[in-house]
Amino acid sequence: MGREYALFLGCLIPNRYPGIEAAARKVLPKIGIGLADMKGASCCPAPGVVKSFSRPAWLAMAARNICIAEEMGLDVLTFCNGCYGTLAEANHSLRGDRALRDLANSNLKEIGKAFKGSVGVRHLAEVLLKEVTPQGIERAVTKPLGLKVAVHYGCHLIKPRVLREWVGSTERPTFLDELTEALGAESVDWEDKMACCGAGGGVRSAVLDVSLRMLNRKLLSAKEAGADFILNVCPFCHLQFDRGQVELQRLYNLQPYDMPVLHYVQALGLAMGYGPHELGVDMNFVRPDRILNKLS
Amino acid sequence: MVDSHGDLKIGVYVCHCGKNIADVVNVKEVADFSSKLPGVEVAREYLHMCDDVGQEMISNDIRELGLNRVVVAACSPKVHELTFRETLRKAGLNPYLLEIANIREQCSWVHRSDPDGATEKAKGLVKMAVAKARWLMPLETKTVEVTRSALVIGGGIAGIQAALDLADNGYQVYLVEKSPSLGGRMGQWSKVFPTMDCAACILTPKMVSVSQHPKIELLTNSELIEASGSLGNFAVKVRRRPRYVDEDRCTACGICAQKCPVRVPNEIDFGMSSRKAIYMTSPNAVPLAYSIDGENCLYLKRGICRVCERVCEAKAIDFDQKEEVLELRVGSIIVAIGYDPFDPTPLEEYGFGRYKDVITGPMLERMTDPMGPTGGMVLRPSTGKPPRKVAFIQCVGSRDARFNLYCSRVCCMYAIKDSLIIKEQSQGSDVSIFYMDVRAFGKGYEEFYLRSQEAGVKFIRGKVSSIREDPKTHELILRYEDTLMGTALEDSFDLVVLSVGQVPRADTEAISKILGIPRSVDGFLMEAHPKLRPNDAIVDGIYLAGSAQYPKDIPDAVAQASGAAARASIPLSKGQVEVEPLSPLIDEDRCGGCGICIKLCPYGALELEVRGDKEVAKVDEVLCKGCGTCVAACPSGAARLRMFTGEQILSMIRAGAG
Amino acid sequence: MMEGRGEAWFEPRILGFLCNWCSYAAADLAGMSRMEYPPNIRCVRVMCSGRVEPSFVLEALKEGYDGVLIAGCHPPSDCHYQSGNLKARRRYYLLRKLLKELGINPDRVRLEWASASEGQRFAEIVKDFTERLRRLGPNPLRVDRVGAK
Repeated sequence: MGREYALFLGCLIPNRYPGIEAAARKVLPKIGIGLADMKGASCCPAPGVVKSFSRPAWLAMAARNICIAEEMGLDVLTFCNGCYGTLAEANHSLRGDRALRDLANSNLKEIGKAFKGSVGVRHLAEVLLKEVTPQGIERAVTKPLGLKVAVHYGCHLIKPRVLREWVGSTERPTFLDELTEALGAESVDWEDKMACCGAGGGVRSAVLDVSLRMLNRKLLSAKEAGADFILNVCPFCHLQFDRGQVELQRLYNLQPYDMPVLHYVQALGLAMGYGPHELGVDMNFVRPDRILNKLS
Repeated sequence: MVDSHGDLKIGVYVCHCGKNIADVVNVKEVADFSSKLPGVEVAREYLHMCDDVGQEMISNDIRELGLNRVVVAACSPKVHELTFRETLRKAGLNPYLLEIANIREQCSWVHRSDPDGATEKAKGLVKMAVAKARWLMPLETKTVEVTRSALVIGGGIAGIQAALDLADNGYQVYLVEKSPSLGGRMGQWSKVFPTMDCAACILTPKMVSVSQHPKIELLTNSELIEASGSLGNFAVKVRRRPRYVDEDRCTACGICAQKCPVRVPNEIDFGMSSRKAIYMTSPNAVPLAYSIDGENCLYLKRGICRVCERVCEAKAIDFDQKEEVLELRVGSIIVAIGYDPFDPTPLEEYGFGRYKDVITGPMLERMTDPMGPTGGMVLRPSTGKPPRKVAFIQCVGSRDARFNLYCSRVCCMYAIKDSLIIKEQSQGSDVSIFYMDVRAFGKGYEEFYLRSQEAGVKFIRGKVSSIREDPKTHELILRYEDTLMGTALEDSFDLVVLSVGQVPRADTEAISKILGIPRSVDGFLMEAHPKLRPNDAIVDGIYLAGSAQYPKDIPDAVAQASGAAARASIPLSKGQVEVEPLSPLIDEDRCGGCGICIKLCPYGALELEVRGDKEVAKVDEVLCKGCGTCVAACPSGAARLRMFTGEQILSMIRAGAG
Repeated sequence: MMEGRGEAWFEPRILGFLCNWCSYAAADLAGMSRMEYPPNIRCVRVMCSGRVEPSFVLEALKEGYDGVLIAGCHPPSDCHYQSGNLKARRRYYLLRKLLKELGINPDRVRLEWASASEGQRFAEIVKDFTERLRRLGPNPLRVDRVGAK
């Protein structure tokens, strides 16, 4: 029992946090998720920045990535909210709107590709929830974390709601909390849990100060809630929470929050008994010592 | 087989409809084309065929040229078929020898960017109409007596007004109300805008007039379950649920309710208080009598208790009452079933249902009623104390692509009203209204709005994006955008009121189905024409009043109710209606008595009758509605639908092909 | 199945049967709202979609129409005459089977539901049907294959 997916890595994971990929390659096959490489996959491209500059370019690039998976005959699997946002929306638009499809295909023709609409686009969270199920994860966990976790959903994971029937409530979703609790952790209630991390939509690139102010509020409330670490399912949120703490310290002279940040696959890896080095956890800017000490 | 008139003389009249048709369709070309069609004696074009000159043109041609068929190529037959039938009749030609080609709604108005295509299509449509015209036959209407009474469904302010107007005009009215009392939504409000009148004070006299009016039969605890017939002669069935209390004996002393052991949430107070299984909806109820709720009464459900019966000094409790089904005959029906307030639970971002201090506008209204759950004081549900800082959020469930696109009209005004009441009750309280647009459209409404601003009510233009509870103070933190300042802000309040809009009542669908009246896209009952017939339902003889047709305030509901009553009186005062020759003719020679048609008729209007040595189908013209399903199924072609015969339709099909 | 593959541009000829209470009103509403759709369709008003006889449809195809649209009230309960639309639906399914036997693409006959308030929907249906018929090509029974309007 298990399924293979075309693994879409995007940009941030290979370039900034390869530990997430390393962790995924170790833990996911163990719970029945096979990963096949997508040769020639490019930037998704980003849902905020590129789409706002040129919709046709965004569409063509996204379509090209999906075509690679179509040629492999596998659904696309991504661990990044942004890539999910782009690829899921592009897939949906191209399948439903003939004019857009013709536009994209007229561009793709130049490189000998054609979008068919034959595969789906899945975020890891959906696959874990629907295919592996929290019970399945519980079964795979050998070292329950026993930690308090501030679960961060992010934005593109759950919205727009019309393209994500599997999510349930977008104002108060519970699926990621369930997946986290399956790791033997406690998902704490923290203020503004559902707020944006501040990275996406071009905010971090264009107005870093605004982005960091948003981040600061989240870090404060995570701390107030007594969380041991912040859990995410997106490398951009991950980068924001991780690198962002350093920037807050350096640029604004704030006291360090010392709040470790883990992508779900890394947290799962720890719960399955892998060491922090194997999961690239020690490659974060914010040292994970606090939680590692609690774990051992 | 040619028509029985022998020599066919068709007149074709192509209308410009000002520029509506002529701007797209080449009317002259269509007229020229028509003049060459077989059987066409004359083809003319004119600016407005429906005006006096246009109609004269047709009448003159009928008289002078001996026309025996008329084709008018103009707007939809739904607009002017009757007008032109009348023209024919006045000119001495049978009014059913008319055919209309719809070259406006279904041609010029929808093919504006293709004038050539539209012109070709117009020619084709005229050709089809001319082909049908040769197969039209002279028909007679039947004059039928009208039942001079009316049914009004719904006992809120609209239903009450409509019933009073009809009854004052001398017609017998049956007023059917689902709940045990008249009053509807207006009966739930305490003060009404912009006058700050006491709602009960102005409503109760009307309710009493209804109960005392010799021409109004008030049927409470009742609902419409079946309807058949047509304009002037409807047969309806009304189910009357038993009150289990004799209305004539009950003195409304209330001892029964005091002693009743069953407590259930009170719907009138939107669940903020409870009532007993024996109850009155309000102290001003009409009829002024208690009613037993059959779902919750211990005796009716489990055969125990009967305390109310023991303590009732007037001996008014009567558990032997049974449900009845009344069969009524009426000439007109007015639907005034009202609305429900929108339930904001799905807007999870506002926490209605999770946070006690987030309430709806109607709930706040109940609090301001001295007979309501808090004795007339606005209080925080969590503490029972008056609020110091109140926020109103407008357009909840309205103007929202997730729920209802329409504007509910009344919410801005009721929020302003309630904010003034709160300011009066708690001097020094801070009241803010978060709005998108303030709609103060009615008479005195803008002045009322100004008054609230002068009283210190704050108006903040922006949507509230989320509400969360401060874990320490239990106050509600609203995050919102102040669009005029261009900033996003947060502020705490101790009471939040969601100004919810009006949505169609849950039983609108059932009524729509029973009466055969369609609903608009927004779910309210659809009017026959949005501009020119706002009080008529699509079906003749049925009229609409109040929020059942679209959200509205009390002045508009009353105005529409009187309008509907005037419309409903027309057939009643005429005393007669012309019944169109809708039903099919059965050719008894051709009919083989197979009985297929009998089974298909949804009205049971067909039956087999013995004719000599065989059986043939016979149509009951009163029950038949003229749908033609039987005609389509008849294997021998014995059934012919006079206004839509097979030859007529086939001739149109062939004419339109070439 | 015999089929004319419309390679050259051609204008389909469509016959529509609209029921007085729902789809005819929807078509009128499309006009009142100034929606646009191609002028290839010519509509016949009937009181109810239940009036539409399969022989009308066959006659239309014989006369060379490229497509026939039958539009009534939404099942189950919008029909002004209770159940005429349900009968139309039953006849339609049998008609499709018959068309296949006759070698005519059953997609040339289309049954749709449009309530009186669905003007936009009516316009979309006509636009869509016109395009599909354009791609299907001319009715093989049609005498003039060049496809003049």
